[in-house]
Amino acid sequence: MSRNRRKTTNVIEVNFLARMIVLVFLLGLAGLFFVYLKNQQHAVGNQAREMEAELREAEAKNAALQAKISSWTSRGALQQRLDEGSIRLEAIRDTAIARVTPPIPAEADGVLRTASRDSDVRFGPGVPQRILKR
Amino acid sequence: MKGFSGRIGLVCALLVLIFTGFAWRLIHLQVLEHDQFNAIAAEKHEQRKVLPARRGRILDRNGEELAVNIPVRTVTADCTHIKDPVALAKVTAPFLGMPEQELAEKLSTKRPYVVIRKEVSEDKAQDMIRAMEKARLHGLSTEEDSFRSYPNKEMLCHVLGYVNGSGHGKDGIEKVFEANLAGHNGFRHIEHDRKGQEIVVYRGAEQLPDKGSDIRLTIDMGLQAIAEHEVDEAYKTNHPVSATAILADPNTGEILALASRPNYDPNKFNLAKADDMRNRAISDIYEPGSVFKIVVTSAAYNEGIVDDKTRIFCENGCFSYGGKTIKDHHGSGDLSIPEILMKSSNIGAAKIALRMKDQMFYDYVRNFGFGTRTGIPLPGEVRGEVIPPHRWDMITKTRVAFGQSISVTPIQMVMAMSAIANGGRLLKPKLVLNVGEGSSGLPEAPVTEVVKQESANYIANALEKVVSNQGTAPLARVNGYRVAGKTGTAQKISPHGGYLAGRYIVSFAGFFPVNKPRILGIVIVDDAKLGETANYGGSVAGPVFSKIGEKAARYLDMDPEPGESASRVGSSTAAVSVR
Repeated sequence: MSRNRRKTTNVIEVNFLARMIVLVFLLGLAGLFFVYLKNQQHAVGNQAREMEAELREAEAKNAALQAKISSWTSRGALQQRLDEGSIRLEAIRDTAIARVTPPIPAEADGVLRTASRDSDVRFGPGVPQRILKR
Repeated sequence: MKGFSGRIGLVCALLVLIFTGFAWRLIHLQVLEHDQFNAIAAEKHEQRKVLPARRGRILDRNGEELAVNIPVRTVTADCTHIKDPVALAKVTAPFLGMPEQELAEKLSTKRPYVVIRKEVSEDKAQDMIRAMEKARLHGLSTEEDSFRSYPNKEMLCHVLGYVNGSGHGKDGIEKVFEANLAGHNGFRHIEHDRKGQEIVVYRGAEQLPDKGSDIRLTIDMGLQAIAEHEVDEAYKTNHPVSATAILADPNTGEILALASRPNYDPNKFNLAKADDMRNRAISDIYEPGSVFKIVVTSAAYNEGIVDDKTRIFCENGCFSYGGKTIKDHHGSGDLSIPEILMKSSNIGAAKIALRMKDQMFYDYVRNFGFGTRTGIPLPGEVRGEVIPPHRWDMITKTRVAFGQSISVTPIQMVMAMSAIANGGRLLKPKLVLNVGEGSSGLPEAPVTEVVKQESANYIANALEKVVSNQGTAPLARVNGYRVAGKTGTAQKISPHGGYLAGRYIVSFAGFFPVNKPRILGIVIVDDAKLGETANYGGSVAGPVFSKIGEKAARYLDMDPEPGESASRVGSSTAAVSVR
């Protein structure tokens, strides 16, 4: 081989090339991984936002329902429904009461218990008993 | 060859110039004008989002909800993001309850923040957002909000107060405990994308909201409902200017019920008249009349000026003193202290007062809490009016003795009667059990001993005779219990001086059971339209007290007193005189 021909020949430095290829590959991989992680972060962020919105929605619905229950079970609302006849008060039958000690009639000790004025107390004086049994 | 090299050099120079220009622009944008452009970007994409604090609830002593929050949404628009206002209006108008055209006009501005509608229900707001997403429209968003609701409407309105449109307490507990109830709003710095949705990864500094504390009142809604019902009945039957009832625990000073007419619905406070909103239990002053005799009698007994053997000549019903005449409803001769209270003798009370030194009597009046605010945690309490001795004329002391020439509030009278009921201790009225979960309650107020226990018990036993058939208030009895109380019938003061003929403020203050009082109450009826002959504390306020007392005893499941005989019970229909 002539001298000139040898001069024009370049040696491929395989080791260096391989290192560079690996480096570039790793850099690329790191970049891709970074992008992947960033996308994951955004995706998880969106999930978190949606979850937060759902949670808030559920809390708000719960609070709204609680407020409705409070409103419907308020004394004023129940009284109105009672007046309209939608609900009624039922006197507890004597046979439905389990007594630990037998009741003492008013005549026995001279004490007239307030419970003896059931209908007056609950419905005001003059309300006939039949209303209780409606 | 030379020309080719020159052209390459020229291109290179041009490229260098171009990239130098780019580099300069980059430095200009990123370094020199960084702050300005950063601010523009931040204004467009960054936002300080307020995280609203939930307002605390108001509960009764058993946890029944008296004031709650209903979550709602405020719909806002960023009009800079809206490309087709008409299409957006068409999709969202049905959810907002607005005409499409009106909404489209609102959305056509180029403002970045426009409030479209407040108090949109949670369901409708969510449906609207879904409809927008489905139609791929954006520009409208919703903000968390809430409005205050009072489930019991008018009941207890004067205690609860109300919250105005901007969410601030304006009366009652809502106002006094505003700082506790309101809590503190939080915040979060967020960035949003061009659709207006938050980019969570760029979430900045945040502070979570401190929710408001729940406030538990001493009010018992069972007793409140009883008081409201009876006051309402009295108001409808007697057509007075106003009617008030207060129930309290005389041992602790806890207010158990407070009802007043006229009243209003705090849910619709903007429709209420100023007169309806006044809490008459603390802001109205009146001459108490004969109820005030408990002060002069207990003070004189406490000082040893009178005792259980003392008898006072009551001039057979007509006593001239200081150029004026004091009259009793029924003339009497010699009366003991219990008889003076039982028959409500003005002359007897005046003569007891005359036995006391001016300053001593005045001090007792003040020690019973008159002329001073009780400190109940409600806005608008007045102190009443007690004339000091140096301004008294010859007859002032005799008038004060039976509740004239003095102005008091109903709550002062309740606390004074409590002192008689609990053995002589003047308590501060308590309306709030605790503020916030786990709170041990508010600090106890100091207690003043106004009279000795012996004196208080003596007067309490004397007051029991007031509800006997010989007393002025047999209709105030409560079946099954020994009741002590005192009636009051006071002429109304004319704004032009003197008194208004035939117009009275009648009251009854009492407690039961006498030996171990659990309930103390006052009923005041202002100017009942009954005519002069029927308008007395014993005949108007007494029966209301009786009805409230009987129902309250049932509600609290109080054991009837063994000593209370059946012959006494229910016999109040006998012919009796009432004052």
